[in-house]
Amino acid sequence: MLKYIWLVPALPLLGAAFNLFFGKMLGKFSGMLAAALVGGSFVVSVLAFFELVGKPAEERVYVAHLWDWFTSGKLSVGADLRVDVLSMTMILVITGVGFLIHIYSNGYMHGDERFSRFFAYMNLFVFFMLTLVLGQNFIVMFVGWEGVGLCSYLLIGFWFEKKSAANAAKKAFTTTRIGDTFFVVGLAMIFVHFGTFDFDKVLNSHTAGTLSTATLTAISLLLFGGAIGKSAQIPLHVWLPDAMEGPTPVSALIHAATMVTAGVYLVVRTHVLFTTTSLNVVMIIGLATALYAATVAVGQDDIKRVLAYSTLSQLGYMFFAAGMGAYGVAMFMLVAHAFYKALMFLSAGSVMHGLDGETDMKKMGGLRKYMPITAALFMIGALSQAGVPPLAGFFAKDPILSIAEKSGRMVPWLLADIAAFLTAFYVARLIFMTFFGKERSDKHAHESPKIMTVPLMVLAVGALAAGFLDMKGLLPSPEGIFGRWEEPVTGVFAEPTGGLPESILIVISVAIALVAIWVAYTVYASERWVAVRERYSNAHRVLENAWYWDAAYGWVVERPAKGLARFAAFGIDKGIIDGVVNGLGSVTKGISAGGRRVQTGMVRTYAAVFLLGVVGVLAFLVVRS
Amino acid sequence: MSVEQWVFWILAPISVASAILMVLQRNAVHSALFLILNFFTIAIFYLVLGSPFLFVVQIAVYAGAIMVLFLFVIMLLGVDREESLKERIKGQRVLAIVLVVGVLAEIVTAIRLGVGISAKGAAGWDLVNKGGNPQALARVLFRAYFLPFEITSVLLIVAAVAAMVLTRERLSSVPDADMDVDIGEEEEALA
Amino acid sequence: MNVPVGDILVLAAILFSIGTAGVLVRRNALVIFMSIEMQLNAVNLTLVAFSRELGSLNGQVLAFFSMVVAAAEVVVGLAIIVSIFRRRTTVNVDEENLLKW
Repeated sequence: MLKYIWLVPALPLLGAAFNLFFGKMLGKFSGMLAAALVGGSFVVSVLAFFELVGKPAEERVYVAHLWDWFTSGKLSVGADLRVDVLSMTMILVITGVGFLIHIYSNGYMHGDERFSRFFAYMNLFVFFMLTLVLGQNFIVMFVGWEGVGLCSYLLIGFWFEKKSAANAAKKAFTTTRIGDTFFVVGLAMIFVHFGTFDFDKVLNSHTAGTLSTATLTAISLLLFGGAIGKSAQIPLHVWLPDAMEGPTPVSALIHAATMVTAGVYLVVRTHVLFTTTSLNVVMIIGLATALYAATVAVGQDDIKRVLAYSTLSQLGYMFFAAGMGAYGVAMFMLVAHAFYKALMFLSAGSVMHGLDGETDMKKMGGLRKYMPITAALFMIGALSQAGVPPLAGFFAKDPILSIAEKSGRMVPWLLADIAAFLTAFYVARLIFMTFFGKERSDKHAHESPKIMTVPLMVLAVGALAAGFLDMKGLLPSPEGIFGRWEEPVTGVFAEPTGGLPESILIVISVAIALVAIWVAYTVYASERWVAVRERYSNAHRVLENAWYWDAAYGWVVERPAKGLARFAAFGIDKGIIDGVVNGLGSVTKGISAGGRRVQTGMVRTYAAVFLLGVVGVLAFLVVRS
Repeated sequence: MSVEQWVFWILAPISVASAILMVLQRNAVHSALFLILNFFTIAIFYLVLGSPFLFVVQIAVYAGAIMVLFLFVIMLLGVDREESLKERIKGQRVLAIVLVVGVLAEIVTAIRLGVGISAKGAAGWDLVNKGGNPQALARVLFRAYFLPFEITSVLLIVAAVAAMVLTRERLSSVPDADMDVDIGEEEEALA
Repeated sequence: MNVPVGDILVLAAILFSIGTAGVLVRRNALVIFMSIEMQLNAVNLTLVAFSRELGSLNGQVLAFFSMVVAAAEVVVGLAIIVSIFRRRTTVNVDEENLLKW
């Protein structure tokens, strides 16, 4: 099956084309077609997976050269796909979770005017994401990189009649563009120093070792710049909360499970190029984002925005792990997060569906009576995120915390623990405000149809059970099945010894989670939160506005840019350029207004002028002789 | 002084005077009459210059036919119309005087410079005019200048037809372009 | 022939310029037309004078043709003036200003 690996991206692309051109004809069938094609990709991926597993660990690489793309001077780039342990993990997640989300979308987007267009975009996105992770060289990866950015824009702004949605799409695109610029400069540097874009030649430690540390740091930081944009880390994180304007399946697929994880994939893929300095930068930014986003999530009332900031925070954890060199751990967190975050987003969509689109948690409450299935599944996702064993999230987060403590990074460990507390707190808060307590909604809440709840159940299985992949003897470990599976790419991770014993660390992290849940319960399961909010209204306002980060950008970036644009538009374009052009017109008009007065229509004037000419000619003739 | 010189020096002032008076008359009929006088003087000059044929033709065609035609039309169009003295176009009179003086000066200069003046006729003049002026002219006209002769006869017919076409009475069923209305609209549009 | 030809030419020049003045200064179309005729006559006089001077009949033939054409021209020109008069009941050329911008 590895020979047919090109089918994996090709099938969704086919679906996108079909739905773009024949969508109107297919009608409701377009959604099923799209889901089926992604499902087909999943099947091909699974078959390829088995084939890959059948090989010994060092040989789990398959490169498919599809065609010669372009050659320019010394550079020759082919459309090449690479299937190895890392990309296989990614395509399984993308196609698997993607398939479930496509099925869910058939129910969620039911009745939408542009139903087939939605699925065309979704399929197109899956295609680009697969291209991104399957690329054998940086150029193919870049095609996918840009493509997912485009699809993200199209899907965030899917309901473009809503001004806030259109603005959010623009914000997402321009912010990630900034990151992409760094990425491209990084690519240029790669070409300058390596002369090629092929992963085999660039990403091996021998050639990398020939370059100076400074060069490698520069290259890796530039590439990480792209990751900052795409994965919404500080300081380019501002687009992700606004991206919640898009339909909920979009938030689940793109802004939880896949596109935002592209940055993590990038770092893990190119980790050979990262030096100690650049890894420290990655770690610091990841940790900072994790902590910042966790605080902000505590202050959000919109159910989707809580999840958005939560995504930022979890991504921060992944980068935190990668920055410590624990790439396998970061990847496992990516997989687990894909399950429980997609589950929570889709469940939130289910809640919204049941309440006619309501997203404000202040207007929810006590919903578990009306949508028990959604409530139960949502809680599974929440417990997983909070890091309660034996769910997957615990097996993902705990190794990160213990590696931090054991390797002597005490301050990061403390900060990560605070963030973990807040994580459990805000996710429990979400559950209690939505499903428990007084019923504050006046809408007629109902459970969602099976087409939406069944995918949730499948995801819940993943959120529950995936933990076993990361186990070594019932304890989470980077050397579990998953960790060892990833080793051909990530390298063997030297687990730090020293520090507190593993069991103590586990107890600490579980305790943090449980205490946080208990605090959330006391405040939010009843109506006590209203009074608490009154008391801490100032703090709440700061958190709700994300520490005024967006406002700051508005002042520092937006206003100068708008001023410059206004100057260019009115000052230069209208004033100077239009002025010149209009001025030419006016001058011509003026000249002609003056000039045409020669045409007096008076015969005698004409005769006089005529004679004037004659006199002139005669004079010339007389003088000449 | 010989006879010719006498004739010339008497008639030249008359010629010039009649010309000036023609231009200055306010009544068009008076102008025409003065022009006829001018034509007469010129006819005599032709005679003096040795072309009796043109003398007769000038009187018969110019003074007799063309000026009569003029007088017909003047009377047709209102014989008592008097032109006002006020000049409406600014600077026209000044410009006219300047230009006319200029033309005169230039031509006179050209004459003084370029022409060899001799007081007697060219040799061979009598030879050319052998048998009388009409006969001599006929010899030249019907041989060397035959084609132009025929063409001018066609021209005369064309002119006669043109005059008839231009001035015929329009039948009421053939619509004339209502020029006054079009002009009015144009002027309104431009204003 | 005792009259110096130069004098005749000067006379013709004077008549020509008087005709030009008439064209420029008068407003009555008919008087303008008559002034043009005077110009033509002056030219004819010049031609005949030169014919005498140069001993060739070409000048007289040319003058003859000039007279014929002048006659045709007068016919057509007067017809035009009459037809303009029919529309506008004026022979004042200042009022024929349709070519005005």
